Amino acid sequence: MSATTLLPTATSAEVATEAVRLLRRHRGAVLLALLLHAAAVAAGLVGPRVLGEIVDGVRTEITTARVDRLALVFAAALVVQAVLTRWARLRSALIGETVLAELREDFLAGAVALPLGTVERAGSGDLVTRATTDIDRLSYAVREAAPEITVATLTSVLIMAAAFLTAPLVAVAMLVGAPPIILGTRWYRRRADEGYRREMAAVGRVTAGVVETADAGRSVEALGLQDRRVERTERDIRDWIAAERYTLWLRTVWFPTAEIGYVLPIVFVVFAGGTLVARGSATVGEVTAVALYVQMLIEPVDLVVSWLDELQIGNASLARLLGVRLVEPAPVSDEVPTSDDLHADDVRFAYREGHDVLHGITLDVRPGSRLAIVGPSGAGKSTLGRLLAGIHPPRTGSVTVGGAEVSRLPADVLREQVALVTQEHHVFVGTIRDNVALARPGALTPDIEEALAAVDALDWVKALPDGLETRVGSGAHVLAPAEAQQVALARLVLADPHTLVLDEATSMLDPRAARHLERSLAAVLRNRTVIAIAHRLHTAHDADRVAVVAEGGITEIGSHDELLAADGAYAALWRSWRA
Amino acid sequence: MLTLPLANPGRPDVRSGRRYLWWIVRNQWRPLAVGVLLGVLWMGSQALMPAALGRAIDTGVATGDRVALLRWCGVLLGLGLLQTLSGVLRHRVAVVNFLIGSSRTQQLLARQVADLGAEVTACTASGDIAAASGTDARNIGRTLDVTARFVGAIVSFIAIAAILVSTSPVLGAVVVVGVPLLIGTIGPLVRPLEARERRQREKLGAASAMAADTVGGLRVLRGFGGERVFVDRFRTASGEVRTAAVETARLQSTLDALQVGVPGLFVVGVTWLGARLAIDGTITAGQLVAFYAYAAFLVIPLKTFTEVARKFAAATVSADRLVKLLAQQRSIVDADAPLPAPPAGADLADISSGLLVRPGWFVAVAATSPTEATELGDRLGRYVDGAVALGGRPLARLPLAEVRRRIVVSDKDPMLLAGTLADNLDVPRRGRVLAPEVVLEATAAGDVVDGLPDGLASELPERGRSLSGGQRQRVALARALSADPEILVLDEPTSAVDAHTEARIAERLHDLRRGRTTVVMTTSPLVLDRADVVAFLVDGVVVAEGTHRDLLRDCPPYRDLVTRGESE
Repeated sequence: MSATTLLPTATSAEVATEAVRLLRRHRGAVLLALLLHAAAVAAGLVGPRVLGEIVDGVRTEITTARVDRLALVFAAALVVQAVLTRWARLRSALIGETVLAELREDFLAGAVALPLGTVERAGSGDLVTRATTDIDRLSYAVREAAPEITVATLTSVLIMAAAFLTAPLVAVAMLVGAPPIILGTRWYRRRADEGYRREMAAVGRVTAGVVETADAGRSVEALGLQDRRVERTERDIRDWIAAERYTLWLRTVWFPTAEIGYVLPIVFVVFAGGTLVARGSATVGEVTAVALYVQMLIEPVDLVVSWLDELQIGNASLARLLGVRLVEPAPVSDEVPTSDDLHADDVRFAYREGHDVLHGITLDVRPGSRLAIVGPSGAGKSTLGRLLAGIHPPRTGSVTVGGAEVSRLPADVLREQVALVTQEHHVFVGTIRDNVALARPGALTPDIEEALAAVDALDWVKALPDGLETRVGSGAHVLAPAEAQQVALARLVLADPHTLVLDEATSMLDPRAARHLERSLAAVLRNRTVIAIAHRLHTAHDADRVAVVAEGGITEIGSHDELLAADGAYAALWRSWRA
Repeated sequence: MLTLPLANPGRPDVRSGRRYLWWIVRNQWRPLAVGVLLGVLWMGSQALMPAALGRAIDTGVATGDRVALLRWCGVLLGLGLLQTLSGVLRHRVAVVNFLIGSSRTQQLLARQVADLGAEVTACTASGDIAAASGTDARNIGRTLDVTARFVGAIVSFIAIAAILVSTSPVLGAVVVVGVPLLIGTIGPLVRPLEARERRQREKLGAASAMAADTVGGLRVLRGFGGERVFVDRFRTASGEVRTAAVETARLQSTLDALQVGVPGLFVVGVTWLGARLAIDGTITAGQLVAFYAYAAFLVIPLKTFTEVARKFAAATVSADRLVKLLAQQRSIVDADAPLPAPPAGADLADISSGLLVRPGWFVAVAATSPTEATELGDRLGRYVDGAVALGGRPLARLPLAEVRRRIVVSDKDPMLLAGTLADNLDVPRRGRVLAPEVVLEATAAGDVVDGLPDGLASELPERGRSLSGGQRQRVALARALSADPEILVLDEPTSAVDAHTEARIAERLHDLRRGRTTVVMTTSPLVLDRADVVAFLVDGVVVAEGTHRDLLRDCPPYRDLVTRGESE
């Protein structure tokens, strides 16, 4: 049961295809934003040129009026740059937010369409991480990293172009900075990914450890585990520091290498410029302008280099989000159940290949009867329940309802036939009404109250401050595990399929309340088929038939009285239980 | 370099958030001072760059003097290398400062949470602890990182101001007055921006919670329908996030524009004034270039100021939250004048219920109300104060450590911890050292070990989540047995276990605890039948005592309880 198959992740090719598709869909807006950014950057390049001209002018008797005019041009260029910057940034934010909204909505729509078996196997953890952490990371990348890198790349290219236009011979000298930056960055990027992943994981472990100490506070104090918990956190901190030191070392190599790449061009431009000026092939003003351009170049190049990480993280998250859409839909047949008969024939099933947990089970469940499945833990009871409810297809053999293979029924048809309630209970954020009515949207208040009454829950629901309208779930009124189970059962009553599989569905209630609930539930479900997996023997006693499951097979089956008469394992257990 | 985590994180000043921050700063003043020095060196070498560039243009480029050109290129290179070296050293020290501050905070947090123990959930939600450890400790570390840069920024600002004023008092004055004014212009926009960002974060948080809720309950949704409703709801929430984000972007883009425009216009002003001075011959062309570069460079300390203000605000909020947690006091503590503990083999008496537990007995408590049984257990282990006596001495007057050592109460929902199965069972022993195999055998948990890939050495995730409820319960019971205390109180230890297994556990539990005292709260006949004596608890009071069979025969309400109304 612990065997979990993680959901798939999109390949880089699939991510690229999706990115191209998205850009294409917003082609016009993207082009406009790029143009605006380019125009803003171009306006920002006027400054050094103006200064260069003034420098040259000062040496050749420039007039004050000319200086004033140049200053005005400079100022006007800046205003244009500022206005264009605002416009460009806003346009790119609009595109980014639209794309993000599409991606997260598509993800969720894809997630809720996943086949039941996939959901069961993957567990909710992976999906929840994708729905929260990955969406957050992608948002950060789209909101911050993508525009920063786009603008910075654009800026760098335009600055270099401006430098070359001003004085090509001088500008060539600035290329000496490229090798250290490129080599250093490449060295760093090869190692950074893994280093930061390790660091993030180590940070997460420190927090997880402290939170666990708090959650398990009672056990920690009862058993005297305080010192061990502190030691555990200190060990986590040690790992975290080691991970931090590794990435720090990476940066200790990378930063100076890149920095040299920023320093060398200035020195070379001044030297080459001085030489060229002496030969008369360049003016002092041109050299000044190029030197200032080189200074201007530092910031955008630095931005590109440092945001690459975030972009890559966002890319990985996008791959995980898109991965959900890659799950093959469960095979669906168009067979229509012709009756309510549930039949399992020589069913075998394995979570891991070669490790069958059910070894050829054959079982007939008569419509309207109550079957209890009992047996020791790990015998395969829950697995059998899931197969009967159509969540997993059997490896060999078949499970059919009215002649149709249960696991191949489309979700909306299956719902009308068989439903499963387990001991795992999820309370959705919303009102109690929302939680129950989920099974039948638009259900009227009397129906909902009737369903709650059938599971002994109406009294406490009515006693809540807002009754049916009380908000529950994470962050609101917290339902006790027993109450959550009752809500889950009320939902089942409202859904009203002809066959119900209850897997320890009342395990959180205290024994007496559980028994009472089961009896009132039985009254409501009189004509329904109920398969109850239980560890309490009274459930078995109350059933029409009892199946004892041990080591993946049915060892005894019959009514309570028949089994007692047969004097097998069940009878022995019953006697010790009744003392 | 320092070894982290520290051997002793010290005793923090928790009177207020600011005091806590100050305490953190005081405790690492040496590395912080080194950071400040390097910050000054780094910013200073950057600040000198424009001046050197100006001189290089004046004396090297403009004159055609090759020696001067080479000399100034050498100066530029030297400054550049100094900047590089001080930059990377500064970064290293900054990271170390961050690590000291946040790891110290993490250590304090871990100690505090462990010390609060059973009381931690009563005073704090686990979400708060996650935030304290995940966010707040880091925020505090980050302030330490910017402190050094902040001081460096101030120093370089003053240095540049001095250079400017000495070259040209007018231009110098413009820059010295102008830069603070610039901060003042952009400052007012930051607050509304933060308000919008907060709103956006809230919307995003809501949408993210909704998505988590939807996929977390996906099994239910797929089983019962309602997917469409949930997807629609999420689309609405997602649309609200988009709207809020665009609102933020509107203001943010304005701020971006101002950050380009305002300092830019300032540069224009400086350049214009400088050009006029240059025409007069008051300054040289090279000095004009330097002025231009300074005006542009001053944007950096300006940005640092804004960053420091933001980070400091975040750190103060974080420190306030942390202090609230760190200042939390336990309610169950040692008495002022504790009595010496009675010798081993003492009886345990709960006065309010009338329960008397004799040494060496296996006592079962069958309660009509599970809550009352739990309350009784809490009193017996002094998780709440009650009239309980151990060997005739009030439990509340005995040293708490002694009580915890001698009486172990395993609550209804004991939690396993991340680590190997063997680690989980390896708890401080109070008596015999029982091998893992022995306690697992006693709790019929052999199948748990068999089902794990590496047996006892298999890693369990947090809370032992990979195990089923029944498996977790049996491992937790085995863990409590491992402690082997003089008195063990178990609250419904087999509630999630099937009847077959329960029967086996009941039998073995009794054998393993022979010679020691055990109290089990249960209504299961399989366990009750194994007890030396059963106390029947009605409305919190023991109304009948005897063996299970006696009570079944003589006490009809008891029979009703344990046979779950079979006779109704």
